[in-house]
Amino acid sequence: MATEFVTAIKTSEVPAGGVTAIDVRGARVAVANVGGTYYAFDDECTHEQCSLAEYGELAGTTLTCTCHGSEFDVRTGKVLAPPATVPVKVYPLRVAGDALQIEV
Amino acid sequence: MARYVIVGASLAGATAAITLRDEGADGTVTLIGAENEPPYERPPLSKAYLRGDAPFDRALVRPAAYYAEHGIETIFGTRAMRIDPSTRIVELEGRRRVPFDALLVATGGRNRQISIPGGDLEGIYGLRTVQDADRIRREIVAGRRVVVVGMGFIGSEVAASLRQKGVDVIAIDPSRTPLFRVLGEAVGQTIADLHRAHGVRTVFEDTVAAFEGTRRVTHVVTKAGLRLECDFVVVGIGIEPEVDLLDGSGIHVDNGVVVDEYCQTNVRGVYAAGDVANHYHPIFNRRIRVEHWQNAIKQGAAAARNMLRKSVAYDEIHWFWSDQYDANLQYAGFHVNWEQLVVRGRLDSSSYLACYVNGGRIDAAVGLNRAKDVRRIMPLIKSRRTVDLEQLRDESVDLRSLA
Repeated sequence: MATEFVTAIKTSEVPAGGVTAIDVRGARVAVANVGGTYYAFDDECTHEQCSLAEYGELAGTTLTCTCHGSEFDVRTGKVLAPPATVPVKVYPLRVAGDALQIEV
Repeated sequence: MARYVIVGASLAGATAAITLRDEGADGTVTLIGAENEPPYERPPLSKAYLRGDAPFDRALVRPAAYYAEHGIETIFGTRAMRIDPSTRIVELEGRRRVPFDALLVATGGRNRQISIPGGDLEGIYGLRTVQDADRIRREIVAGRRVVVVGMGFIGSEVAASLRQKGVDVIAIDPSRTPLFRVLGEAVGQTIADLHRAHGVRTVFEDTVAAFEGTRRVTHVVTKAGLRLECDFVVVGIGIEPEVDLLDGSGIHVDNGVVVDEYCQTNVRGVYAAGDVANHYHPIFNRRIRVEHWQNAIKQGAAAARNMLRKSVAYDEIHWFWSDQYDANLQYAGFHVNWEQLVVRGRLDSSSYLACYVNGGRIDAAVGLNRAKDVRRIMPLIKSRRTVDLEQLRDESVDLRSLA
């Protein structure tokens, strides 16, 4: 199936330093706000499926899943610290006015 | 070229080998382990792997092929028997001798054994290795009855996993609650309630006097006179550090291998990390031996850096989690005693953070379904600063603002 950019959420709904999860075309996607730059990725931690919006602590571009301590780079999804070993899937994101559009 | 040798293909040992290579060790790296499997993580053995919810491969520290691909020589299925610091030789079973320039002891622990009548009957299991987990898995059938002896972390997690599989569980512990020694009675009581709410029958302040059965265990008899029918037994009464190989080596052993904050023993060039290491902790200003996942990784890495002469003090705030049923229990810091237990939230609810406080400082905290709070309180523990206990208790105060 072809992907396209879908308006997912308003910028004002993702506070600075915060992570918010939304459903976009059947995918549960988390959006992080790093000092005004937004990143989108799967909400589910690849270790034991904790919600990254609910359990994630953001420090710069590093997101710690506080359930078990895994750390991810929200820009790339790369694992920075175990116990997770599998990267989290990231989605292209663009800002259109006050809307955040995510490519799914 | 230096010869780096690691005894114990544990999480600590494997992490050290990986770190040595990642950080440019110029020389050979040899990883020696008694178990046949490539290094694996043990937390799933009492949880997802025990329940059959995750394959063994997911527990591997690295894929099996990783070690050879990264220039790490492995000798698995072979126990190290002796260390001679004067000749710088590790002797393995089968008389093989491995010379070293820098050595890491990461041999972990072995299960404490219960020595009572009937202890050698079939159907009585400990849990340390994947084979142990496999033996217990073969007993799991909904409706069968298990007696779990010991309600520390392993016993508590096994009791939860077996309940989740529909096994009838009776749990016995000599203390007044599960996890009593570490967490105390007030917090322990909440864990007892959690298990009872999931249908575990708990027997506290009583101990096992004998196992009965002809070939296989059929009954557990307690000191107080209970006679409990069962299909199998899991014993989780703690570990002893695996230090036999140090006998006669002159390496200082006292509740494990004694090391300084650089993970080094009294013998230059010989280090220890993980469950086996009784390490000097610069923040708590005392020796601590920790039997948890995070310490195995962090101390394994720290030891490797010191083997590379980077002189990095290991001052990690110890942290661990214990998932039981759908509850996430986490602990951070280190405490033995406490003057005050300061609670955010309520202990009789499903979510709280309890802080062990001495002299106005938080030594440690335990959270039930409070993952973020545990993470946020770690800088506060590390700072060793005194805190306003009213603010600590006040849920409207962000813990990050206290740090």
